[in-house]
Amino acid sequence: MRRNIATDLIFSILFTVVADTVCITPPGKPKLTSCRSPEKETFTCWWQPGYDGGLPTTYALYYRLENKQAVYECPDYRTAGKNSCFFNKNDTIIWVNYNITVVATNRLGSSYSDPEEVDVVYIVQPYPPENVTVLVKEDEQDPYLRVSWEKPRNADTGSGWITLVYQLRVKLKNQDEWEEHDAMQQKTFNVFSPHSGGTYMVQVRCKPDHGLWSEWSATSFVQVPDYIPWERSKWMVITVFSVLVFVILSGTLHLKRSSLKHYLLPPVPGPKIKGFDQKLLKGGKSEDVFNALVMPGFPPSSDYEDLLVDYLEVNDNEDQELMLDGKDFQDGCLKLKSPSDNDSGRGSCDSHTLLMEKCGKEEPTLESPVVEVKAAGDFLSTETQSSTPEPADAQTSAWPMVLSPDQNHYHSPLKGAPDVFISPPTSSQQEHTMPTGSKHNKVLHELSVNGLEDRGDAVISPARTMEYVEVQKVSQQNVLFLRPLAEQNLSSNTTSIEMPGEDYSKVKGVTNDNVLLLQQEASTQCHSVYQEGVQEEPCPMIQQTQLGKQIAHNPPTVVHGGMQLTASGYVDTATMMPTY
Amino acid sequence: MMQGPVLCFVFLSLGLEEQVGAAPICAHGQAGCHSLSLPELFDRVIQHSARFHGLSSDLHTEFEQYLSSSRNQIGERKCHTSSIQTPNGKDIAQSLTREELTEVILKLLAAWGDPLSNLHNIMAHQQDFNTYSGRKALEMSDMVHQLKNGVQRVAERMQLLGMISNSLSRLSSTEVLEPPFPERFSTSDHDLLYCLRRDTDKVQSYLKILKCTILPEQTC
Repeated sequence: MRRNIATDLIFSILFTVVADTVCITPPGKPKLTSCRSPEKETFTCWWQPGYDGGLPTTYALYYRLENKQAVYECPDYRTAGKNSCFFNKNDTIIWVNYNITVVATNRLGSSYSDPEEVDVVYIVQPYPPENVTVLVKEDEQDPYLRVSWEKPRNADTGSGWITLVYQLRVKLKNQDEWEEHDAMQQKTFNVFSPHSGGTYMVQVRCKPDHGLWSEWSATSFVQVPDYIPWERSKWMVITVFSVLVFVILSGTLHLKRSSLKHYLLPPVPGPKIKGFDQKLLKGGKSEDVFNALVMPGFPPSSDYEDLLVDYLEVNDNEDQELMLDGKDFQDGCLKLKSPSDNDSGRGSCDSHTLLMEKCGKEEPTLESPVVEVKAAGDFLSTETQSSTPEPADAQTSAWPMVLSPDQNHYHSPLKGAPDVFISPPTSSQQEHTMPTGSKHNKVLHELSVNGLEDRGDAVISPARTMEYVEVQKVSQQNVLFLRPLAEQNLSSNTTSIEMPGEDYSKVKGVTNDNVLLLQQEASTQCHSVYQEGVQEEPCPMIQQTQLGKQIAHNPPTVVHGGMQLTASGYVDTATMMPTY
Repeated sequence: MMQGPVLCFVFLSLGLEEQVGAAPICAHGQAGCHSLSLPELFDRVIQHSARFHGLSSDLHTEFEQYLSSSRNQIGERKCHTSSIQTPNGKDIAQSLTREELTEVILKLLAAWGDPLSNLHNIMAHQQDFNTYSGRKALEMSDMVHQLKNGVQRVAERMQLLGMISNSLSRLSSTEVLEPPFPERFSTSDHDLLYCLRRDTDKVQSYLKILKCTILPEQTC
């Protein structure tokens, strides 16, 4: 027994050894790798043989058509090479499933591959496109590449049996990545703006509309000549030119910077006030500053007509302010008004103060020597110095004090505040220097509303309604002592008030209240002549309306801002009313 | 421009019973109505058929993933349009006359009208089938009708231009319009989609051949 087992063992070992060197088995299972049709008219199938089992093995391909039992063998094993089967046109049926099996057979047996279903229409993979050419097309210094090709052989696109779409890829020789482009059904393609001096590689492939992409065609090379892109060079030229222009401009500007600065930013003219000394203003007393401003010969006598009339309205109240106005003023305004009886909003006709003034005096002279209030030194200085109200009060109070003896001539019937109207001097008069204390012959001041814009109506005092006062003397404290001219008969000076003939006033009529309604030839202004001790209440009323009307009808010869210049050259602001 | 009203007149005079789904081109001689040329008609129809085929391919691919396991025996697929004789090769297709080719196309399209509307219903009942595919199926059933109308219009135009004989008018009989009733209406859904994909490809190919045969100067 033991010997049998050992023998068997030895034999099996021997057999195995022998079998290893000379092993024959049935063939291994072949495998159908792929089937392809290049033009949808023929197709080829390839298989991969399995282990042949050590024996010569033959392979056969069998196929069955869809829904049919007949089995056919491959008609052509040679055309497509080894381990292939070629189906020609006659054997190729489209839209029919092929059930294909490959059989490997050797002496010991056969083995069948797994069957594969193939429908030719879905395995179409054309050949690559042919005759791929790349040219460099010169286009006015802007070259581009033109790629052209032809359809692959055997593909019958002319009859519409196959529709091919194309695709190409481009890259520079030293690049790694290809750049793909779709050309659809075209057979040409342009590559624009190639790199100057570079070498390009181009490949093309195609695909039927429901099929597989072909292999890439053989690479075509093209060399792009050196050139400068016009676009780049254009911008270079423009840049260089603009830089040059900029450099030249900046150089020129730099050289001429001082004059350019002068041209663009003209220096602000300094103050041209004669005698105005800034240092003095900063350092010294304001009195000195103002004293420095005062100079002889001012105001200029030549063109006095151009000067605006400065009107001062003086009210006889505690907190009165002198209001001065005029172009010539350099130091603010003085405002004199009665707080209790503000004339703002009322016309000159409506102003009872004005009318009181009018009613209370004779036909006033248009011309009279006046005091240049503006050119006051101390007076103005007191005004600007708000810290010194007392002198201002003293000043202002001087007015009414002085005027008080003349209350019978003019006083406000409603309030106890007489209005003094002071007008600037005429051209013939050069009187000023009130602060200097010089004597003023006659004072005729008429204070007007500040610019006439602040109030709705201007408080205009026609010349005739002015009360002429005369500076009697000037005290040490720069107090003006005034007396009305009416008392003095205007006798003292050569600079008497002229009375132009046309300024006589006619009596228009007499009212019930013993009020004389005066009439002027040029207009029908109403003047109420004061009778001593008689109040003139109604007169203003009538006068207001009449005056208003008359002033409305009065066509002034406007000089400045509606002021009327009478024959004497005196500026009558009363006629400014019509402008409202 | 005169082709439109003439076409309509010819149509009516022939006493055709066929129902045209869309309005006839330039009916009643409408002013400013632009009638397409034959190449334009062909291009449109071919574009339409390309889309038709694309949709069917997508449907088939999606469906195959879901129901590959339920596929029947390999090779036992049967399409209900198998009874229609179709050229299965280029040479065969080119050997057909224009009329025959047109007829085949129309037959195929007619055969798929009802199954596609059924397909949509089937798709809707599939629980694991997403609605996107369902929408595609619905679109397909509309598309087959449109395509059929388009091909009919092309055929009419060709007849008008004398490119094909009037023997085609015989196709408008009920014989063509009614789909051949399949003996086995038990095609599975997968087979249905498979058959659809194939038939749409056939239609497109035949149309292209027809176009390049009739209008060779066009891009073919």
